[in-house]
Parts: sequence; C-alpha cells; structure tokens
Amino acid sequence: MLRYFLSRIVMVVPTLLIIIALAFFLMRLAPGGPFDSERALDPEIAKNLRRIYKLDRPLLEQFWLYLQSLAHGDFGPSLHWRDFTVNQLFATALPISVALGTKAMLTAILAGTALGLVGAMSKGGIGPRLVDGAAIFGIVLPVFVVAPLLQLGFGLTLHILPVGGWNDGAWQNQILPVITLALPQIAIVARLMQAALIDALAMPHIRTLRAFGMPGFHITLHALRAAFPPVVSYLGLAAANVLTGSVIVETIFGIPGMGRYFVDGALGRDYTLVMGTVVVVAGAVLLFNLIVDLVLAWLDPRVRYESRS
Amino acid sequence: MNEPAPMAQLSAAAGALRNWSMLASLSILGLIALLCLIGPLISGHPYDQVYRDYVLVRPSLFAHPDWAEVEEAVSAMARRMHVRIEASRDGEIRHMTLEAAKPIDPRALRAFERSDLFAPARIVASKDEGRRLAIDVPLKRTLFLFGTDANGRDLFTRVLIAGRVSLAVGLLASFVALTIGVAYGAVAGYAGGRIDSLMMRAIEIIYALPFIFFVIVLVMVFGRHFVLIFAAIGAVEWLDMARIVRGQTLSIKQRDFVAAAEALGATTPAILWRHVIPNASGPIIAYLTVLVPRVILLESFVSFLGLGVQEPLTSWGVLIADGARNIQGSIHLLIFPALFLGATLGALQTLGDGFRAHGLRSR
Repeated sequence: MLRYFLSRIVMVVPTLLIIIALAFFLMRLAPGGPFDSERALDPEIAKNLRRIYKLDRPLLEQFWLYLQSLAHGDFGPSLHWRDFTVNQLFATALPISVALGTKAMLTAILAGTALGLVGAMSKGGIGPRLVDGAAIFGIVLPVFVVAPLLQLGFGLTLHILPVGGWNDGAWQNQILPVITLALPQIAIVARLMQAALIDALAMPHIRTLRAFGMPGFHITLHALRAAFPPVVSYLGLAAANVLTGSVIVETIFGIPGMGRYFVDGALGRDYTLVMGTVVVVAGAVLLFNLIVDLVLAWLDPRVRYESRS
Repeated sequence: MNEPAPMAQLSAAAGALRNWSMLASLSILGLIALLCLIGPLISGHPYDQVYRDYVLVRPSLFAHPDWAEVEEAVSAMARRMHVRIEASRDGEIRHMTLEAAKPIDPRALRAFERSDLFAPARIVASKDEGRRLAIDVPLKRTLFLFGTDANGRDLFTRVLIAGRVSLAVGLLASFVALTIGVAYGAVAGYAGGRIDSLMMRAIEIIYALPFIFFVIVLVMVFGRHFVLIFAAIGAVEWLDMARIVRGQTLSIKQRDFVAAAEALGATTPAILWRHVIPNASGPIIAYLTVLVPRVILLESFVSFLGLGVQEPLTSWGVLIADGARNIQGSIHLLIFPALFLGATLGALQTLGDGFRAHGLRSR
C-alpha cells in the first residue's frame, strides 16, 4: 500500500510542474497586457510598472522567478487589484470555494448513492427507468440554466431563499449554489451507482449470502462494497466538474470565490491571478485524484497488487 | 484476406436506429438543424435588427401591433407632434384625423415612418388651412414568435442564428478533436513501447487540468474570434478520442491483414490510413456522438461567461446568459434558448447511449 502511495505521489510533482509551465507560457503568448486601459499610459510610467512587476525580464527568467516564489508559497502581487497580493485574495476566496465544493460533492455522493440504491432495489419495476430518465435531465439542463430557474423559483417567486450574495456564509445563501452544483453530479452518480449495484447484486457471493438467509441489510452492505469502485473512480472527474461548475455558479450567485477571480482575472489579463487559480485548481484536482486512487486501492486489492508487478 | 468490413459495424449502428428513442432523437436533431439552417431566411427579421418600439415583447402567435399598442403609439405620437389624433379602428389601414391650433407641417408625418408600427402615412384631405388633416396610415405587421430581447431584437431569429453558431462550433470543434485524437492515438498505438507510454503519460498530464480553465486561457491567447473558439475547444477535447483510438490500434495491429500489408511493403502511414483507422471507425463514430454535445456545452459555457462569441453574433450560451439577466419579467428570454440547447444535448446524448450500447455488442 505504501509503495503504491509513493508511486502515485511521485507522478504528481512533475505533472503539476508541466501544467504550470504550460499555463505560464500560454498566457504570455496572449496579445495585450495587464496595464492596457482605454487611456494609454505614459510610456515612462508603463516602463516603470513593467520593471516593478519584472515583466521586462526575459521570459525564462520570469518563469524561474515565478517557480521560486511558488516554492515559498507566494503567488505574487495581483496585477489588477493592485492593492492586494494574490495570496490575500485567495485567503478570503479559497475557503468559500472549498466550502461550496465539499458540500456539493457530499450532497452528490449521498443523494446519488441513495437514488441509485432505490433504483437498483426496485428491480423489474420503474425504479431504474426513473433514475435513467432523471439522469438525462442532469445532462440536458446545464448549470447555467438550472441556476437562474432556481433563483426565479425560490428567490423571486416564493421569497424563501436569497437570490444571491454570500452574506458571510449564512446557510440560506449556501443552499441554492450547493444544489445547483450538486444536481448534475447527483444524476451521474445515481446512474453509475444503479448500474454497478445491479451488476453487484448478480454476483456469486451475494447469491451465497442470500442462500445463507442473511438479512437484507447485510446483503446490501456487501453489494455496496462491490459496487463502489466504478462510482469512486468517477469522483475524480466529478471534482473537476464541480470546480468547473463553480466558475458559473459563483458568477451567477455573486459569490466571491476562486471562480469569480479566475473569470475577472482572465478578462483583465491579470497574469499572476490567473496563474494562481490554475495552480490551485490543478493542485486540487491532482490531490483529489490521488485520494480517489488510494480509496480505490483500499476498496479493491487487485489495484495495489497489479501496480506491484 | 479476412479484413472485417467497417460497413458491418456501421450497419449494426443502423440497426440500432430501429430503436424508437434513437429515431426520435435523430428526428429532433434533424428538425433543429433544418430550422437553424432555413429559419433565419424566412423569419422576416435580420438577427441584428433592432425594433425600438418592441422591447421585451412577450412571445405570441399573432402579429404585432395589436389595438392597445396602436393606441399607445398614437397617443405618444400626438404628444410629440402637439396635435390631437383621432384614430378609427378598421382593417389594415388606419384612418386618422389630426387637429391642431396651428397648421400642421406635413413633414411631421415622418414620425409614422420612423416608428416600427406604421408604414409611411398618406394625406387624404386637408381642411381649415392645414389645421385638420385626414391621413391614411397602413400598419406594419410584424410577428415575434418568441418575443424580443432587451434591445428589441427578434428572439426567434436570434435563437436560430445562435443554433447555427452552436452547431457549427460543435461540429467543427469535434472535427478538430477528431483529427488530433485519431492521429495521436493511432501513432501512439502503432508505435508502441516507449513512445506509446510517453505519449499516454502526456495525456494523463493534460487530463489533470480542468478543461474550462484551459479553454479560457486559450481563448485569451487566440482572441475571441468565432473561428478560433472551436480551435481552442477542439484542442482540449481530443484526449478521450486519442485513448480510444490507441486502444483500438493496439488490437488491430496484431491482426493478420496488417502483417500482410507490412509484408507487401506498405508504408506505415498507408497502413494507418488504409487499414487501422477504417477498422477503428465504429468506436470512433460512437464516441463522436458523446463528443459533440460535450463540445456544444463547453462552447455555451465559455460564451455564458462572456468569453466566447461576441455581439451582435450570438450562441445559445450568450442568449441564456442574457435570459438569466432578465429573468424577472421576461422569462421567455431564458426558456427558448435553454429549450433548444436542452433538446439538442438530450437528443445527442440518447443517440450516443444507443450507439455505444449497440456498438459494444456488435464488436
């Protein structure tokens, strides 16, 4: 297990490095700079600005400097919000996005598993078809359609929940964003869970348990363990999807999280801010995939033995 | 000479079409594509025509203006021209009588021309030295099936134009992804060994980057031109295609007909082009039906954030973003583009599910 763990960790570092390099050089290829505005700056001032932010150095040197500061955990100054460093912006934005993301993921896993379980148990009935049908809705209704509809329904018509804003993380403000983020993932998890459970319930060891006259609850637990691997291996992708969705959700609901900063940074050519978000997001996805791999190895011994040979 | 015909896989897919849900999806797709193609030509509105008198009009099956709108417009006109207007209510031509204290300048009647409700006015009779004018004002009939947006543009035409953009981006970006993915996968699979594992490692690395961030960085680089958006999207969506083609190539290259082609002295590119890729076509087509909706969704996503297609050109994502901003009071701005996008995505998804189920069975 330890060996497997180490072999996965060793992969992460070069991957992250390559992603940073890719994003860094791509950004610098883009025409236009962070100091472009409607009124052209005095050339003298522009020159000074470029010097202060070290944008006049050779590109490779800039990259090296950036890596060095990253190694110290410093994302550099924001070029757009010039009174803040990227670290200061992230200090408020990251906890918000993490709170939203984890709640959405937990909701998706719990609700998806429950739905899939119900669908698989009502075999032969309309259960499985209902779950499959609902899953299509998760695909057909993208996040940016669901969000305004929820705002209209619960906020503007029923006046139960606030339409937007963060309000220091009050629970009323979190409900709609979390549901919006979780819905498509619930649909996919439910569908995967149902398919995996139907397969698992047909396995020989479950039949043996049935033959022994085990209680239904027991059998379900065993079937769940066998059904989890395909669902767990999807969770890595789900995390990436939730991160992507959070860009939209944070924009629509006016939540000051990482996604908002990314979009604003991209529109304003804020090199350091966009780089910072890419690094954090890629790091988060890699970390989550690592966790998923470990859970898979724990659930299914074949995975760790295979990697040894 | 036991080369399996790719046609066999295709006919299996055709057999799958007998399934009613797939047939329904295909008809929906065809209908939407046809509407988008010819709809803007017959809707009677250019997609960027602004009707200032018809801002945020609700969807309706009847042509505008109705009597209430005419009355409102006439009273507004009377205020502006400092006259009293009496309008009769009959048929296509409105007979109106204008009364004022001073003689009325006929040039003031241009106001009718400038309005979106009326055609140019014609003076029938002039009494009291021009203080009383009898005029004929034909109505200009305009139909807004889906209503209009906040700028007074016809939503029906815009949804269909947006459909053209979204579908075009979907197809072209998928084509870009197809080209890169098939080439990459076939080369990796056929080369094998260290080259293969190196190329697959590269894919794993790009996988870790959330696509949307990559697309946005690429759109920043390329600029927000319509043609370049699908290049950016295609450039990130080829990964799965490459994996699938590589897997197929690995198994196809062990078949006898490849060995025969090698023995007969065929070059590697010729073997890939003539033997490997055609035999991998079944899974490639099946995956394309998954790829196209993903690409359309990604384009809407980027456009929704304002980083994609730029005004006055539009795409479903742009229209939905517009609808989300005007959701209070004008929900039709959200419903119609969302309906078209949803129907397209759902149909493609159903089609893809069916193709994959049947494609896997036939292999």
